Amino acid sequence: MRSLSITAALVCLALLNSAFAEEKLSMSDADKAMYAELLDNNPAEMDVAEGEQLFGELIGTAGYAKMLGVKEKDLPKYIAGFPRYVEPAKKVVTLAQTIQMAAAASEKPVPKLESKEMVKMSAYVKSIANGQKTSIDVKANKHMVEMMKLGQEVFEERRGGRGLSCNNCHSMDIVGQRLRMQPLPDLGAKETAAAGTWPAYRMTQSQMVTLDKRMQQCMKNALLAEIPLGSKEIVALEVYVTNKTKGNAISVPSVKR
Amino acid sequence: MKTLIKIKPKTYAAGDIVKIDFMAMHPMETGMRKNKDTGALIPAEYIDEVKFLFNDTLVTKMVIWESLSVNPLMSISFKVPGAGTLKVIAKDNKGQSVESTTQITPKG
Amino acid sequence: MERRSFLKGFGAAAACAIALPHVASAAEEKKSASPMAMNFETAVAAITGGKALTPSAKVKMEAPEIAENGAVVPVKVTVESPMSDKDYVKAIHILASKNGNVRCANIYLTPANGEAFFGTRIKLGGTQDVVAIAEMSDGTFLTAKQNVKVTIGGCG
Repeated sequence: MRSLSITAALVCLALLNSAFAEEKLSMSDADKAMYAELLDNNPAEMDVAEGEQLFGELIGTAGYAKMLGVKEKDLPKYIAGFPRYVEPAKKVVTLAQTIQMAAAASEKPVPKLESKEMVKMSAYVKSIANGQKTSIDVKANKHMVEMMKLGQEVFEERRGGRGLSCNNCHSMDIVGQRLRMQPLPDLGAKETAAAGTWPAYRMTQSQMVTLDKRMQQCMKNALLAEIPLGSKEIVALEVYVTNKTKGNAISVPSVKR
Repeated sequence: MKTLIKIKPKTYAAGDIVKIDFMAMHPMETGMRKNKDTGALIPAEYIDEVKFLFNDTLVTKMVIWESLSVNPLMSISFKVPGAGTLKVIAKDNKGQSVESTTQITPKG
Repeated sequence: MERRSFLKGFGAAAACAIALPHVASAAEEKKSASPMAMNFETAVAAITGGKALTPSAKVKMEAPEIAENGAVVPVKVTVESPMSDKDYVKAIHILASKNGNVRCANIYLTPANGEAFFGTRIKLGGTQDVVAIAEMSDGTFLTAKQNVKVTIGGCG
């Protein structure tokens, strides 16, 4: 009796499988093309325009370049190399942290990393490097070498009640497998356009989100304690993830699911 | 309400049919979502009317409901009659209204 | 024991839902009655005034077959028409057949548009048909639809 019901269950499963095999499970190229058109009318463009205004009022590109010790005309190339070691901070920092530094240096109120203003301003600053290639250099100095190593450790460290790490979904071995109807991307691939395209407008949240915030959201959903913004660990993670996209063009803001 | 008007393609001549893309930053609240902390319904707040005018003559009027996405896009075609001012007036169900303009400048 | 009776009840409810879809959807409507709520039949009647709705290849409806999220679903409608003073598309209506309020947008066009086109992005509460109705200047109503599967993609 029991074996009969198991057989019946197996037959059912087989039938279900063949039924699903007929059904399309992810977006066709035509579907993807429709979504790609969203880039032409990205609501986050309005945020970046506001970020430009806020940044101009707070610091301005001239003051910002001076603080970083680079010529204003070299900003696009320089920004394309972030996260990087900057001398005034004596550590590896993100663009958002350089905005904080510049604000502090000119005795202006320092925007918090998680503030809406900061998301808009850091998106604007990154957009200055649009069209440039991501040029992070993880061997530039001992600080970068150290952060790259730490970033890989954080990426691969299994944490939380379920023992998950970033690598569970983003190791190269499982690229193309499906996570809730969506193929898992190769974070380094040109067509994935990962690190070089954040901040991005997230459709599911209807707002622009930064890369570090996105990584925090990932941790939250995997039931891991969120690594705080601005911490050495999250900057290291950004270094590691950005290095995967080295050489890919920067294009901000983009649109993500 | 922040807005953005784009004319595509960027260069066009009189007589050409162009696309006018209008975007507005608006929550487009359905009135069905609950505040996670209080459990109270968030009141509906959505753009309910958009008018496109060329030199103050109505080209297209839209009646909109809450099913449009947050920060909505509304895109139409427009046959460029010549140079002039394109005005877009968007109004929401709470009476908030915004007027945005852009110049139509055909080449050649 | 409790679990068993719950399961039984659940099974019965599921059977009801299958056998009596109208009853189930009516109950849902009551539960989620928004002030703007309107079902598909009422919305169509409000547009056509009871006139016939003709499926037509002249109405080109573009929407993804599969949407990775229901919050942003791109929709484009183009209607074949000379858009002259005598022969033009008066309006394009977009309906999401299973949203609480099925009405998305009524677009009232004029010959000045040069082409009968409307593009937007809509929210879909689940897998359903997105329907376009074109109101022609001769008083006829043409229609086209596209089924959009709403899935949940990825994590977070």
